[in-house]
Amino acid sequence: MLKKTSIVIVAVTIIVVTFFLYGNSNRDYKALGSQLKVSHIIYNPNKSLPSFSLVDQDNQLFNNDNLKGGWTLLLFIYTHCPDVCPTELLDMSTLKKLMLKDKAISTPKVVVITFDPLRDTPEVLKEYVRHFDKDFIGVSGEQAQINQLIKPFGAYYERVIYDEKGKSVILKANDKLPESALQDGYVINHTAWIYLINPEGQIFAGFPSPHNPSKMADDIKLIMNQF
Amino acid sequence: MKKITLNLVLSLLSLVFATQINAVTHDHEGQYDMETISVDNPWVRSAPPNAPILGAFMEISNHSDGNIKLLSANTKGYKRLELHKTVFQGGMMKMIKQDFMSIPAHGKLTLKPGSWHIMMIQPKKVPREGDSVVIKLVFDNGLSKTIYAKVRKGRAMDSKKMMHHQH
Repeated sequence: MLKKTSIVIVAVTIIVVTFFLYGNSNRDYKALGSQLKVSHIIYNPNKSLPSFSLVDQDNQLFNNDNLKGGWTLLLFIYTHCPDVCPTELLDMSTLKKLMLKDKAISTPKVVVITFDPLRDTPEVLKEYVRHFDKDFIGVSGEQAQINQLIKPFGAYYERVIYDEKGKSVILKANDKLPESALQDGYVINHTAWIYLINPEGQIFAGFPSPHNPSKMADDIKLIMNQF
Repeated sequence: MKKITLNLVLSLLSLVFATQINAVTHDHEGQYDMETISVDNPWVRSAPPNAPILGAFMEISNHSDGNIKLLSANTKGYKRLELHKTVFQGGMMKMIKQDFMSIPAHGKLTLKPGSWHIMMIQPKKVPREGDSVVIKLVFDNGLSKTIYAKVRKGRAMDSKKMMHHQH
């Protein structure tokens, strides 16, 4: 009888503690979420970022480990982008300058991954990305790896080529690119969120475009302080 | 003496003609500038030295009673220039190539980041901040205009307002 009661007490305690912890942590992020101005918490503790293997601008391996140990701002771009991507990179350099002013908190590193490794080799990315900030890290690699990596972020893209009559043709991520496309050029339609990765290398928050560096900096500080 | 007189007359005649031609040309340009189309604040966004594409922006005003179309933009030292518009569609930022840009009668079209822009493809040399880029705009009805766009840094301040309205 006593044994049975003990088991019940232990079981109930475990359930209560688990519920309390789980509920509490959820409530914490809900409270945090309601304070955020321009970001959405997209953290899911049950869904970790799948492993990936890419190459950084110095031709060094870049994988999940490179996103651990500190906060990271991550964005996907392509260098043939005339409008949206340069704006995002300029916004990230503004955001970094704003955050550096606050000595009490560290500034996340900025990782820039290309949608378009065919044209954006590590060398191309290095020169391009460093124009905006010398510490930004450009990342390229195999197209298949990039296509896999963007999925859990909810990011996607499509290439646009033009046929002989000048009509636009949409190619999805896995469609084969005609050989002439590299010569003729193509643009990429793409999602333009920026993501905040926590020190465990997990997606924590997302910032939809257009971006406001000052409000983003405020949100990032709140998140970093309450994580 | 006769020869000298003839020469003098010929010189005077050519001077008169030249002045008239100048006056006509001047009037034409003046007319286009003052009455039909004006372009304000043309600029090209500064870009990395290896940037394969640049964006040019400006405000084009149509002072006439009829709608005017910008048909093309041209400059030296680029593979080609295209007219484009950035739109937010299906969760994506899309570059939509345009056959022309319409400037309504007595209206203004603003080319700005996140919206209408001129895409400058494959520069032989990426201009530096502070440089000027000469761009020739060709409109329908045979009108054309040469502008000097300053290269400078730029953020999409105005486009933010536009995007908020869209949401």
